Amino acid sequence: MDWLDDWLAKRTRTVARNTSRRHFLSRLGVGVLGGATLPLLPVARGHAAGAQPQEQGDPNTCEYWRHCAIDGFLCGCCGGSVNSCPPGTESSPVSWIGTCRNPADDRDYIISYNDCCGKSGCSKCFCNNNEGDKPVYQPAKNNDINWCHGTTNNLYHCSTGVVLGLAQTN
Amino acid sequence: MARWAYLILLTSCAAVAAPPHAYILNCMGCHLEQGEGRPPNVPRLKDRVGYYLQISGGREYLVQVPGAAQSLLSDAELAVTTNWLVRNFAGRSMPADFKDFTEQEVTRLRHHGPVDIDAEREALNQLVDQMEAQAILQ
Repeated sequence: MDWLDDWLAKRTRTVARNTSRRHFLSRLGVGVLGGATLPLLPVARGHAAGAQPQEQGDPNTCEYWRHCAIDGFLCGCCGGSVNSCPPGTESSPVSWIGTCRNPADDRDYIISYNDCCGKSGCSKCFCNNNEGDKPVYQPAKNNDINWCHGTTNNLYHCSTGVVLGLAQTN
Repeated sequence: MARWAYLILLTSCAAVAAPPHAYILNCMGCHLEQGEGRPPNVPRLKDRVGYYLQISGGREYLVQVPGAAQSLLSDAELAVTTNWLVRNFAGRSMPADFKDFTEQEVTRLRHHGPVDIDAEREALNQLVDQMEAQAILQ
């Protein structure tokens, strides 16, 4: 009957292993952690990390591709970067949004020109490119507007050019 | 376990569906990705836009407000974008009997709004504020 004892003991251990409180908790933990983490993955963040482009050119020049419709001082020359505000300034949540063609892959990307606000004008690397710019009576498509109206302090300092993703081709 | 992962993946994707191109390029700069806006300058759409559909003049206002009426979208595109916006942002303010805007309706309404659109905005927003406050109390 040894074989029966062995068999029963093995089965019992297997059942115990797969149905224990710890096993259940570990599975639950994986599920909860996975559920909380998945939305943070880049694939799930349409706004923050859409299709990120190949890069070509110097981001601190007016000719850099993302600056096709920028009107202001480049944050990259002011202690920040093309994606981020300099220390001591606040990124305006409202922005004017357009598209620029990337010479590296010849595709159009959606660019959000978020102004950095809260300090007086940086006065370095001034650019005034107006691709797709519309008169002020089309305010959502005008780059002369002070987009710092969305921040606590309306002083304009410089502008970023953040890629939101690939533009649709029509 | 695979089933759980699949389910979590599905719900994660559903929660962060990207807005349509027309919304991104014409509305999102101010109303932001989740329709949260920047009150009081930029009205919040999230859990609120549906209340306009329940008051007199409110449905018309959604396509007559300058941001919509004067946008570069065609009448057909404005109808589609407004429908998307209502269905995605209205949340608890969504009326049960919402009917999609059609291109013809937008053509009829779009450029025939009240002369004093600011007064209309003020009046409608007061009503919508009340509806929102009542909904929170319930």
